[in-house]
Amino acid sequence: MITGTLINYYFHCQTQCWLHANRINLEDNSEDVRIGKVLHEIKEEKSKQAEIKIDNIKIDRITKDYLIEFKKSDSDPQAVKWQVLLYLYKLKQKGIQRLGKIEYFEKNKEQKSEILELDEANEEELLKVLDAIEKLISSATPPPPKFENKCKKCAYYEYCFI
Amino acid sequence: MAKNHTRYIFSMGELKRKDNSIAFINEKGNFYIPIEDTREIYCINEVSFNTKFLDFVAKAGITIHFFNYHGNYSGSFYPKDYLVSGTLTIKQSIVFIENRLNIAKNIVKTIAANIYEVLYHYYRHDKKELKPVLDWLKNDADKFISKDITIEQLLFIEGQIWNRFYDSFQYFLPEDFVMNKRVKRPPDNPINALVSFGNTLLYTKTISSIYHTHLNQSISFLHSPGEGRFSLSLDLSEVFKPVIVFKTIFDLVGRKQLQVQKHFDKNLNYALLNEDGKKIFINAFEERINETFMHPKLKRKVSLKHCIKLDGYKLIKHIVEGREFVPFSLKDKM
Repeated sequence: MITGTLINYYFHCQTQCWLHANRINLEDNSEDVRIGKVLHEIKEEKSKQAEIKIDNIKIDRITKDYLIEFKKSDSDPQAVKWQVLLYLYKLKQKGIQRLGKIEYFEKNKEQKSEILELDEANEEELLKVLDAIEKLISSATPPPPKFENKCKKCAYYEYCFI
Repeated sequence: MAKNHTRYIFSMGELKRKDNSIAFINEKGNFYIPIEDTREIYCINEVSFNTKFLDFVAKAGITIHFFNYHGNYSGSFYPKDYLVSGTLTIKQSIVFIENRLNIAKNIVKTIAANIYEVLYHYYRHDKKELKPVLDWLKNDADKFISKDITIEQLLFIEGQIWNRFYDSFQYFLPEDFVMNKRVKRPPDNPINALVSFGNTLLYTKTISSIYHTHLNQSISFLHSPGEGRFSLSLDLSEVFKPVIVFKTIFDLVGRKQLQVQKHFDKNLNYALLNEDGKKIFINAFEERINETFMHPKLKRKVSLKHCIKLDGYKLIKHIVEGREFVPFSLKDKM
């Protein structure tokens, strides 16, 4: 079963996706991850509503119209987009229709929030992506990492490039 | 990373949870230890605490190492594993069955290479008597390890490497520190006491480092996993001994910062460090293990302590992806 984190990682980095799926999640000392966690906690406290777990996905918040995902920054909007589409898809299977909303705490370039809708086109695309992820994570070894700028901040950096 | 995450407790007292901080209480008062950047605590003296405290440090992933009055290692508090990977443990076992000898050989080769580097420093500084042992380390040992040998033969050559290393101390250490024979439990002279204490510190450091990886502490390659200890920590600490433990000893003894009459317990035939001696040793040890340098491959600053964890990552990489396991080399600094 593919989780929100996994689909996010798939778009962010396939090596990270494989390692995480194969339960090699390295210790993360990064300050960014910690800030992210704290931000989630703060949001939760304010709304007096905890994350909702459905099957194996965790939804930050759900309102009358929206499913909301909180992110620290908009550094990888593509990855978040697919994560939210997965959630919408899972909800739809339970007979719940919502629009997706991504809220960024710090924005670098784009707007502070983004609205998404699960339509026929991206649903079909999503199913293809899920297949591709299944295939990736069941392979015997992780795909070799390609060094990019984002690697420097990643918890897997040392594992990948040692 | 330059921060020192290790706390040593040298005096008697009590460790307590105080709100979200660690408090150490003794007759001199309360001392607070911030939990955020603490990774390990060494109790060198008699310390008491309760389970509430243990639960607190366990949540923070802190390991605690205990030493008795004589400076002997009693054991560690090892919080429940938070990085558990069944898949990796299974693969680690398979690698043990299929490839144990190769990993063990690479460890022993690197021990020899790192000892060579350490001794070469003295050779360059006019200790020409070291030539035979240097040649032996470089040629004979290496040739023998590369042969088609059994694990027992490999362990024998490992013993030889250490013995020749100890024998060579006579050429560059002051007379009262020369080692006639390595004696472990209990050590019978000052140099043995230093080696035992240093090796134990390194072993516990390695335990803490491996704790923060997915590796299974009991599946080892050079040491037999049947030893029932955290034998993987014994394996991974081996190549760091010359680099961290022995270089610390040689520096302290060579610069006369540690002296037999002053820093060893006379009542026990100078075979134990006294409290001052322990403090001097630990300070120098910490300084060495935390000193940072540029890692040639990662292109970022790392400490020797961090290199122990990186060796853990290399081993995971070998287990998961089959890439050859090459331990830390003093020459290549990686």
